[in-house]
Amino acid sequence: MIYDIRQATAYTYAHPVPVARHIVRMVPVDRPGQIVMASHVAVEPEPVEWTETGDFFGNRVIHIKIETPHTRFTLRTDARVEVEAPPPLVPEETPDWEAVREQAATSQDLTGGSPVHHLFPSPAAPASAAITEWASASFPAGRPMLAGAVDLMRRLHADFTYDSKATDVSTPPADAFAIRRGVCQDFAHIMIVGLRGLGLPAAYVSGFLRTEPPPGKERLQGADATHAWVSVWCGAAHGWRGLDPTNALIVATDHVVLAVGRDYSDVAPVGGVLFGSGRQGLSVAVDVVPMTERKGKAG
Amino acid sequence: MPGATEPQSLTRRFEAEAVASLLAGYRPLPGVHDEMMDADGQPRPYWMPLLASLAELGREEVERRFRAADRHIYRSGVFYRVYDDKGGGERPWPLSHVPLLIEPDEWTALAAGLVQRAQMLEAVLADLYGTANLVRSGALPAAAVAGNPEFLRPLVGVDPHGGTFMHLYAADLGRGPDGRWWVLSDRTQSPSGAGYALENRLAVSRALPDLTRAMNVVRLAGFFQEMRASLTRLDRSGEGRVGLLTPGPLNETYFEHAYISRYLGFVLVQGDDLTVRDNAVYVRTVAGLKRADVLLRRLDANFADPLELNSRSQLGIPGLVQAVRAGGVAVANALGSGVVEAPALMGFLRPIGRAVLGENLTLPSVATWWCGQAAARRTVLDQLDDLVLTPAFQRPLPGLLENGPLIGADLDPAQRRQVERAIQTRGVDIVAQEAVRLSTMPVWRQGRLEARPFILRVYLAATEEGWKVMPGGFCRVSDSLDARAVTMQSGGRSADVWVLDKGPVEQTTLLPVTDRVDVRRHTGPLPSRAADNFFWLGRYVERAEATLRLLRTLSGRLTASAEGGGASVDTLLKLLIAWGAAPSDLARKLPARQVLAALTRRNLPGGAPGLIEAARQTASVIRDRLSPDAWRTLADLDALMREAIPPAGAEAEAYERADRALRALAAFSGFASENMNRLAGWRFLDLGRRIERGIATCRFARTLVTQDVSAGTLDVLLELCDSQITYRSRYVMVESRAPVLDLVLLDPVNPRSLAFQVDRIAEHLDVLPAHHNDQPPPHEERLAARLVAEMKGAEATEIELERLRVVEARLMELSNDIAGRYFIHRLPVETPWEQLA
Repeated sequence: MIYDIRQATAYTYAHPVPVARHIVRMVPVDRPGQIVMASHVAVEPEPVEWTETGDFFGNRVIHIKIETPHTRFTLRTDARVEVEAPPPLVPEETPDWEAVREQAATSQDLTGGSPVHHLFPSPAAPASAAITEWASASFPAGRPMLAGAVDLMRRLHADFTYDSKATDVSTPPADAFAIRRGVCQDFAHIMIVGLRGLGLPAAYVSGFLRTEPPPGKERLQGADATHAWVSVWCGAAHGWRGLDPTNALIVATDHVVLAVGRDYSDVAPVGGVLFGSGRQGLSVAVDVVPMTERKGKAG
Repeated sequence: MPGATEPQSLTRRFEAEAVASLLAGYRPLPGVHDEMMDADGQPRPYWMPLLASLAELGREEVERRFRAADRHIYRSGVFYRVYDDKGGGERPWPLSHVPLLIEPDEWTALAAGLVQRAQMLEAVLADLYGTANLVRSGALPAAAVAGNPEFLRPLVGVDPHGGTFMHLYAADLGRGPDGRWWVLSDRTQSPSGAGYALENRLAVSRALPDLTRAMNVVRLAGFFQEMRASLTRLDRSGEGRVGLLTPGPLNETYFEHAYISRYLGFVLVQGDDLTVRDNAVYVRTVAGLKRADVLLRRLDANFADPLELNSRSQLGIPGLVQAVRAGGVAVANALGSGVVEAPALMGFLRPIGRAVLGENLTLPSVATWWCGQAAARRTVLDQLDDLVLTPAFQRPLPGLLENGPLIGADLDPAQRRQVERAIQTRGVDIVAQEAVRLSTMPVWRQGRLEARPFILRVYLAATEEGWKVMPGGFCRVSDSLDARAVTMQSGGRSADVWVLDKGPVEQTTLLPVTDRVDVRRHTGPLPSRAADNFFWLGRYVERAEATLRLLRTLSGRLTASAEGGGASVDTLLKLLIAWGAAPSDLARKLPARQVLAALTRRNLPGGAPGLIEAARQTASVIRDRLSPDAWRTLADLDALMREAIPPAGAEAEAYERADRALRALAAFSGFASENMNRLAGWRFLDLGRRIERGIATCRFARTLVTQDVSAGTLDVLLELCDSQITYRSRYVMVESRAPVLDLVLLDPVNPRSLAFQVDRIAEHLDVLPAHHNDQPPPHEERLAARLVAEMKGAEATEIELERLRVVEARLMELSNDIAGRYFIHRLPVETPWEQLA
């Protein structure tokens, strides 16, 4: 499936911001099952410094510095990305979760793709005994790893209410867990904290969902904004698999990956610091359309 | 003479007897090594000169000298901050006066072992941030690195400036019952305490001056010179600017940051003193941005850059990591060096030592098992009773290891089950270590020596000629008799460490040796933040002085009901209320009540206690730049203002209180004018004072003086402006309007006059860095010049008091101009806030 992606983000400030430094993670990169055919980012006001690098986890990162006083900061990404479904994997045929835990703990890989980086508490996903306790019900002794993770995802989807008013960007997972409410970011964090509490590697993924569902299917939650989900490690033989607790979906071809990290703090689409105060407004618009459809509409 | 004993052996016998009596109650703990006493209860020979000297001095003299050492510590302002104390209090550094002695051969072996260990840790750092061969080869599990919050992913693949990660290294050592030294922990993030070691040496040498020479105690100064030289060598731009990056005055070891920076001649900077431009780091100073090529880092790496590290840090420098990556700045120790401190690594160091150095480590670490591996888990669960559990990565584990280590033998059955479960599910977070028993050393207690367990910290610096070991160190001595290392996490006292040499030691002083350090008359441009604080310190102190003068004058008039006081009392009270010094809700109450309120209430913005507290707080952030005496005067004054005033005779007490406070302020002014060098800091302090005094003088004059002003009121004005003596020495007549106004406003030689303040302001601005002879003067200089001219041209008989309002406004404008020009501060910082949905 080939998607045309368009994202527009606009921050507005009550008082002019004289200087800002940002880290932008809004450019998708090639990954297993994903090929970026074209991408472009435009930023206003014009930055005085612009450095593009790859971070530890292989995400594309743009460092920018703006020295023009501004009350409005906008970013726009255009990309064309081809997404391929991962090879089929029967959850019941993955190794049991205790074996996965042992494999992760004894890994000899320290590179960005290694499960070891997603095994420990991280800044936005600190350990929580309550979440771990809740997650452990999905992992009776000997259960295959992916089967347990899918079960956990379904429980999360069933027990929690999607509510964009209940939390904000810095709500700790344990707080969202306590009220059983939140948005994709909270659900992804809760699932990650639960899995890690059991010694199982889980990563945080940011990205996009296709905006309109294929005919006959329901529109997905989170399609109008930047979305987040979870990637779980199923042992060295199978590697990582995407699970979307917000939609109770095993990730196939409806998701486009933007960045992967330990939690939100590693992948925030726009990070950084701005000098001055006067937080006011934010608007995010995302459009993910299969190329064939757009062509069809145009023609 | 028959029967006479030879004098020398007589001395020796007396000495032996005296030492024996000194040691009479000394009982080393059973099964533990004692530094001073051998297993047979005999003092070790190399301790004899020290013991003999203490015995010879006698109990009283020893105590007198130790008290002198404490006074030295107190006077030099040595303190550390206690976080859990209510209000984050400061404590004087507690010194245990008896030093630890170490023999030459033993020290040589210890030092060699530490050098070897430093080399190994440096190699491990280079590997982990480079190719990670140690992980791929299986010598170190990946999870034992990845779980470490000090493994800084943004720094992976970044070569440190000059190729060195660790510039400073410290190790905590303990001596086991078998007499061997063990490494208890490694300090690689930003080793602290070297400054305290230096201060301890100064204090103890003061108490026992002849002994350090007689016993050939190796000096510390050389080590610091070498450290300074090697850090300065990292400066590529040749500007020679090294910044010591501190988290700020609230940090527990801030004193040491200030002390070390002063001792080494580095600029003490906080994150918001610095800014990154084009991948280079600059200090914001009163003379603009000045490049800093080297940062000696005492701020934990995670807090050093909110952009790429902990985004919540308010202490860091946005863009620092990028500057490091581009090679624009050297950070010592390199960001990420803290990763090798983790207990998780300890268990793997022996084989790693062989792998990276090709030799066995001579100095053992405490036996350690990381529970991420099945074999280690089995060992730990089998031997739990002999082990101590700690978090693998120095990060507390909620619900399990929150406050310090757990001793296996002390666990109750429920705890034990919990521990076993945690080790099984998340063993990666947990480390078990052998329960180490420490050796003991003597401490002086109530006139006797007693044995107490201790930990020794030793410091090493990387130099061009390899690692150099500081010949001495820093002992933390326990207050209790429990010799288990785990109980030594906090508290206790510190002791000096004397490394003995075989022959006489070269008498280098602790002051820099002249042939190695260039003579300097300035310390580089003043950071803007410091200038801002000096300026406001000046303003607060002066405002407090004006308020106190007002209060003293008022309470004098109230008690003595002096002639002509009536009208001016009302005016003065109105002034007090207008300044926010007295509460408006008491306006109709007795004047005495208002005076008392202004002297004691802390919630009044213009009241004396509030102003003095503001002054003290402002001073506390630039304490490293103030003399200890000046600082203490302010601290004492603040304490004075917190004392209650007894209700009985409160009016007389009020006068007394204001008077005492004014004398303390005069002492502060004396220290400021006599003890501060005339560099930019002093100028900003004085600018603040002059502007504030100018404003107060204008206000006093225009409120009190009317066309038909009485002699009594003029006398009040003279008293407020501290000009009575001058007036009476010049004029025999009673106070009359024109001479008083001339003296208080226009007389350029009266240090209290408005004209005098204005002249000083102009002089300061002329010298400060914004002044360039070849350019038109900046706005504030022109403003000041106009005021100077106005004062010169005015005449007392014609002066219009309404004009003083304009002068007041000009002075405030001047204050804003100075702030705008020199205090280039960082604005508050926010982060973007998109929530993923």
